[in-house]
Amino acid sequence: MALSDLFRRVSSAPTNPHAPAGKRSFDVADLYRGPIADRRASAPGEVALDEKLRQAYFWIVNTAIISPHYDIEYNQAQPLSFVLGDSKSRLTLPSAQSYSSFVLLPLLTFATRRKCLFIGGPGRGKTASALLMGVLAGYPVREVRRAMQHGHPQMTIADLLGNPLPADLIGAQKMEDIRIAWRSWLSMRVKIVDEYNRIPTRTQSALLTVMGDNYAEVLGHIYECPESAWYLTANDDQGGGTYQVIEALRDRIDVVVQALAFNSRFLADLLARIEENVRPEEVVPRQIVFSEAEIDRLQDEIRAVEIGREVRRRLEFFASQFEFCELAAEQFEYKTKDTVRLAGAEWHTVTARDTGRDRLKDLGCQTLNGLSVRALMTLFHYAKALAYFRGNRTVALEDVRQILPFVLHEKLSADADAPFFDAPGGAVYRTDRIGWLRKLFDASSAEYDRLDLDRDDPVAALADELRLGLGGVSESEVRARLTRIERLIGEWSKGKKLYGHLYDDLLQLKYMHQRYTNYLRWLETQ
Amino acid sequence: MLCEPLREVLRSGRSEFNAQFAHARRLYPELDGDAFARFVERTLDPWVRATHAVRPDRVADVAMAGYEVGLELVGQRIAGPSARHAVVEHGLVHVLPRAAAIAAEDPALAIAALSNALHELAITAGARPGEWIAALDRAVPSAGDLQTLLAVGQVAAWRAGLAHYRKSALRVAAGLPEALALSALGAAAGPGFAELHAALERDPWFSPDGDASVPRVAGVCGGFRGFGGPFVEPPRLARADGELLVKSGDDAWLLSADAFGATLHRATPEELALASEPKPERDALGLIEQLTLPAAGAVTSAIRNGTTLAVTSAWSHAVVLIAVGADA
Repeated sequence: MALSDLFRRVSSAPTNPHAPAGKRSFDVADLYRGPIADRRASAPGEVALDEKLRQAYFWIVNTAIISPHYDIEYNQAQPLSFVLGDSKSRLTLPSAQSYSSFVLLPLLTFATRRKCLFIGGPGRGKTASALLMGVLAGYPVREVRRAMQHGHPQMTIADLLGNPLPADLIGAQKMEDIRIAWRSWLSMRVKIVDEYNRIPTRTQSALLTVMGDNYAEVLGHIYECPESAWYLTANDDQGGGTYQVIEALRDRIDVVVQALAFNSRFLADLLARIEENVRPEEVVPRQIVFSEAEIDRLQDEIRAVEIGREVRRRLEFFASQFEFCELAAEQFEYKTKDTVRLAGAEWHTVTARDTGRDRLKDLGCQTLNGLSVRALMTLFHYAKALAYFRGNRTVALEDVRQILPFVLHEKLSADADAPFFDAPGGAVYRTDRIGWLRKLFDASSAEYDRLDLDRDDPVAALADELRLGLGGVSESEVRARLTRIERLIGEWSKGKKLYGHLYDDLLQLKYMHQRYTNYLRWLETQ
Repeated sequence: MLCEPLREVLRSGRSEFNAQFAHARRLYPELDGDAFARFVERTLDPWVRATHAVRPDRVADVAMAGYEVGLELVGQRIAGPSARHAVVEHGLVHVLPRAAAIAAEDPALAIAALSNALHELAITAGARPGEWIAALDRAVPSAGDLQTLLAVGQVAAWRAGLAHYRKSALRVAAGLPEALALSALGAAAGPGFAELHAALERDPWFSPDGDASVPRVAGVCGGFRGFGGPFVEPPRLARADGELLVKSGDDAWLLSADAFGATLHRATPEELALASEPKPERDALGLIEQLTLPAAGAVTSAIRNGTTLAVTSAWSHAVVLIAVGADA
């Protein structure tokens, strides 16, 4: 029995016990589970995949990556919290199972086959964490290491994607005859690009094609890549590498996770690794290695996690805060921040004219942009994955609240000149992007509650009616609905200030009005 | 003095074993070298000796598995001189050498599974680990393989007092060879297995070798926390979704009981939310009057659940279990 087997211990299931959904039942198979680690080899499919994912998480945090930072906090009762220091820093002791984002986010990326960027100073475990994900996908450590792409200023497209065979280059009569020796990493289900911000701009464009469209192209030859999880690392995500990271490449990254500083209280653990000559990536227990079919199934099961209407509505409300810019255009549809950006106008010249609203209260004033469709879809994916990881089949509002800052880290840009950041207690959010985004979501939720939109949402009621379809709706009913829409807009026009969520509601009302108008015209011709 | 085969294995992997011990000490700071040495001498050595006699090719695997699991057992004070429950190590010392040929198939699984089972029996109030060890002892000659022996152990554990496993243990019993199943159920002679199985399924208070009269006081469970029981004050009964709950102070437990034992399990908030405390029914009080209850004071609650009537009283921290016939 090798010593490394002690490092291969996997946490006993269930790792996040839930109260049984129905009547409690006892299984005599549990007789042989207890304080002594279970030695039985699990048959494929015996362990639920969410349980396996949690076992992988706990193995990584307990054995592989020393990350005692429980920054994704869950509570089932009021948590204890303490105020410390001159700056009144708050330390909270969560009352439910909480997680380290540095381990959890890469794992959720693995489960959903999306793209994760590790940021943080050198030597904080960014590459090691990415390497572990490759091993979890079943690749030998050596293969993962060799397949890892190391960004450097001389990196060419051929270095990244592959070379034409020299003999073919000489002998070929046409381009189709030239065979390409594709780089082996392109076929892997876990792709790692170390220090991606050191890759020259032209090579970044080739990388963008692989990342965005999942294929590589050299001399007109195409290589279709399998669906994969991506891990990129950067010492500085603010474009401080050798080359500026192109905007489109940045936009393809789904989550950003920061490698937090090493806690010196855990130096003994580092010492143990040296003395026992153990490299965690070399002793990954086979129980937590996922086959390709299992990852496929993981994705299916995650997709099946539900997002209820209440959670979705709050997310809609949150997302509606940011794109609206009242002074951007004359026509209603173009009153967006994107209109300002496309016009090349300076942001502060636009905000200087904005005098009507309370710029402290309006959450939209804190950002320079709105949310893209891609960002919202990513948010759905990760919220589902987090709920699934926690053993739930429905996304809770807290799941969205916890995951949102990591998804929007690079997607929502703060306007550092906004009054919010100059208000008391606001300055710290200029540097704490995770905290700022979570606060933004909390403020949006509080506003949602204040407006009582869960119970009183006339636009949602009208939309539900329309969603049932127009077939069989009578002319008089259509006219009644049109009147209701017009009356609602009329009420809102009486002295109400325009905010992002109202802007989205008004556009939806206009959309519904147009659908009914067209339908009415059609009815009249029958 | 350790046997030569064990000394040979320990010698050949000395540095590795020492490193394993050092790592285990990091995990379990209370792990004591002398205590572990005693475990090796008392528990591992007889097992290795027995294995050497029947499967010499498996000695190294047995020694390594025993050493590794031993570190966990002694480190967590489940075995060794300062163990909380001596019966765990006693059971290992008794069963492993006798089952050496079977355990040699997968020694790590054998010792881990037996340790966990013994631990559960040891920590469950009212369970009888000695009976379980005896049942395994009886099964070893005819079990044939480790999986069968472990299946017998599951059935025997239910019969040794883990009443909550009743349903699934009966399922496991149905998959065993008839002779082994009868032996595990404590009915070496008598009715055929199918008949016995049906009787056990029908009535939780049926026992192949027990009293069949009804109504009768069939068991008592609980007790005052100050004397090692679970209750801080005399308990009261409640019903939740067809199950019996026992409440005492702010705590509540789900009660599983049958002819072989009674176990209490912390109630979940969901179960508590469903709990109702009905007044004792006239029929139940009538049955109670026919018996002398081993509990003092007036009846405070009495709930009938199928063939079980549970009763609590004002001056007692116990729950009295009365077997009542299906038609009572």
